[in-house]
Amino acid sequence: MSLDVLFNQFMSGIARAAMLFLVASGLSLTFGVLRILNFAHGSLYMLGAFLSYTLWKSLLTPALGFYLAAILAAIIMGFFGIIIEFFLLRRLYARGWPEQLLATYAIVLIITDIVKYGWGGEFLSIPRPKPFTGAVFLFGFPFPSYNFFIILLGLGLVIFLWWLVYRTRLGDIIRAAARDREMVSALGISIPRLFTWIFVLGALIAGLSGAVTAPFGSVALGMDIEIIVECFAVVVIGGMGSLPGTLLGSFIVGEVYAFGIMFKPELALAFIFMVMAVVLIIRPWGIFGKPER
Amino acid sequence: MRKFIFLLGMVVLASFLLTAEVGSQAKKPTQKEPIKIGSICDFAGPCYMYCETGLNGLRIAIEEINAKGGILGRKLDLIVRDTEMKVDVAVRELKDLILREKVNFLIGPCSSGTGLAMQVVHSEYKVLRISAIANTEAMTVDKFSPYFVQVVPNTYMEATANTRYLHKKVPNAKKFCTIAPDYEFGRREEAAFADEIKRLVPDAEILYQAWPKPGEKDFTAFITAIMAKKPDAVHSSLFGGDLVAFTKQAAPYGFFNIPFIALYDLPVLMALGPDAPEGTFGFGRGCFFMDPNPKMMAFVDKFKKARGTYPDAWAVQNYDAMYLLKAAIEKAKTTDTEAVIKAIEGIPFEGLRGKFTIRPLDHMGTVPCYQGTIAKDPNYPFKIWKDIVRVPGEEVIRPEESVREIWKKTGVVR
Repeated sequence: MSLDVLFNQFMSGIARAAMLFLVASGLSLTFGVLRILNFAHGSLYMLGAFLSYTLWKSLLTPALGFYLAAILAAIIMGFFGIIIEFFLLRRLYARGWPEQLLATYAIVLIITDIVKYGWGGEFLSIPRPKPFTGAVFLFGFPFPSYNFFIILLGLGLVIFLWWLVYRTRLGDIIRAAARDREMVSALGISIPRLFTWIFVLGALIAGLSGAVTAPFGSVALGMDIEIIVECFAVVVIGGMGSLPGTLLGSFIVGEVYAFGIMFKPELALAFIFMVMAVVLIIRPWGIFGKPER
Repeated sequence: MRKFIFLLGMVVLASFLLTAEVGSQAKKPTQKEPIKIGSICDFAGPCYMYCETGLNGLRIAIEEINAKGGILGRKLDLIVRDTEMKVDVAVRELKDLILREKVNFLIGPCSSGTGLAMQVVHSEYKVLRISAIANTEAMTVDKFSPYFVQVVPNTYMEATANTRYLHKKVPNAKKFCTIAPDYEFGRREEAAFADEIKRLVPDAEILYQAWPKPGEKDFTAFITAIMAKKPDAVHSSLFGGDLVAFTKQAAPYGFFNIPFIALYDLPVLMALGPDAPEGTFGFGRGCFFMDPNPKMMAFVDKFKKARGTYPDAWAVQNYDAMYLLKAAIEKAKTTDTEAVIKAIEGIPFEGLRGKFTIRPLDHMGTVPCYQGTIAKDPNYPFKIWKDIVRVPGEEVIRPEESVREIWKKTGVVR
């Protein structure tokens, strides 16, 4: 097996990692601050994808259409996030995990039916937007340029989140609230409002990642559960609520899967969960996570 | 003597009452009571669309039949149930259809999983089911039941037929890769491909087999892994949204320079639009562009008027299933299950996909399989096929000896 073949497979893994990071970062962020395991994160991602399809269809401006549709879809999902947080999650922060899981799972079912009602069961597809239709060549091997776009977007999101969390005053508050929300509240900062904004940010990221996956693959029912399971693997490996952890988790899951497919395709999926199990045994809180207090 | 006459009188009276009772009971259901058809759908995940469009086809057939006075003067009544693609729900809904609704016949479902689970139950209650979407060979061969009839080319027939097409198109190909969804359907299709390609090309080699999970959205790593093996041709049983995603991700790699065959049927081609790879091979189960006979085109017009879109193979198969049932009931002149089963075996039938029959041995329909090459057509806003081949079911159906051999292993006695 030559080196260029391995490199090519490595790049496939990176593309997958970028996609996973886009979705998992929002999941991890909401968990880190709100302490809510949002099972419906994948559903927000799915709804974002369906919305972007409809917007793209109705905008009909071929050049900018898709990008505009993606941004609009993300914003709409942000508003949707406000509704969910304000009417449901807000009432659940003080409750136990089982109730939170049940409530977010209820959202999964509701969104699935909204999609069935609004779009039917058809699978939809958006052609790749310009200028990312073709491929670029790396060492003589083609690599789809849209995958590059997703990798760049993933990197952009990493930088943005890092800047937000570690370099802004809001980030200081976010990190403080993640550690001790009573103390932050005592300093005169409105915790409910902060939580709403964090959830909205998570929903926005979910909507955006759903929208950008629409031209990548297909938009169909069931994509919510498919992604959320892998995202859970990512955040469990990397550490719940940790940004570098999510990045590392995405990288590990993406690469383990890519090379699993190459060498032992029957077990590719099992490898991911074997890694997860090992991490859970050695560091139950994940590689970059902190033990629950 | 008096006692004897009294007794005789009682016996006569009793027998009179008894026959009268039986007579009235026998008469009631045959008079104008509707024939109940239970449609079992998996309204979840990838099956949602297939069931929705299939049900539309079934509804059109039932509307047509009812408009012409029904079957044997009895109207058809359609009762639809949703399994949510879960085995336990499927069994529960099925029992309710049989015991409470007292349906006469069943049509459905889409998933091989719910189908196999239901087969045990309706066979126990002796109710006939026709499958119009799910096509695993397990339903007709491994787990054969006389109360089951298949009008979809099963995995064996389909893969055998499309392997022959691929071989005809690239006769010199010796090194193959496969990619198929990792469950019952995909596994069976690729097993049949492996058997057939070794018959056609004795020194054929299968270099690599990829098994993405059903619903996979990112095929990049599979694509690069297959291309690294440099195969002469690739056989696939990807379908639906998975195939759409795969195609879009594979195109920038120049993947479609490799001869490739997969389930490029109407919904996939419509979803792909301009991204459908011209010159790549497709197989399917019979929609209008695969078999544009007058009967089919009339159905297309009717379907388009009623539902505003083109019917695909799922609608065609459900429509055919209903008319096959009608033909069998009319031949049997009763809705009695055993009589209808007897009538359906070897019945001459002409549906939207042309002529076929139901093989008496395993109740497998000798339905056609279709293959073609993706090409543009000015008449449609999406790409369709050219070089279309219609393989009659008789040519690719598993030989009877082979079926009997499997039955010896699985314990089916017939």
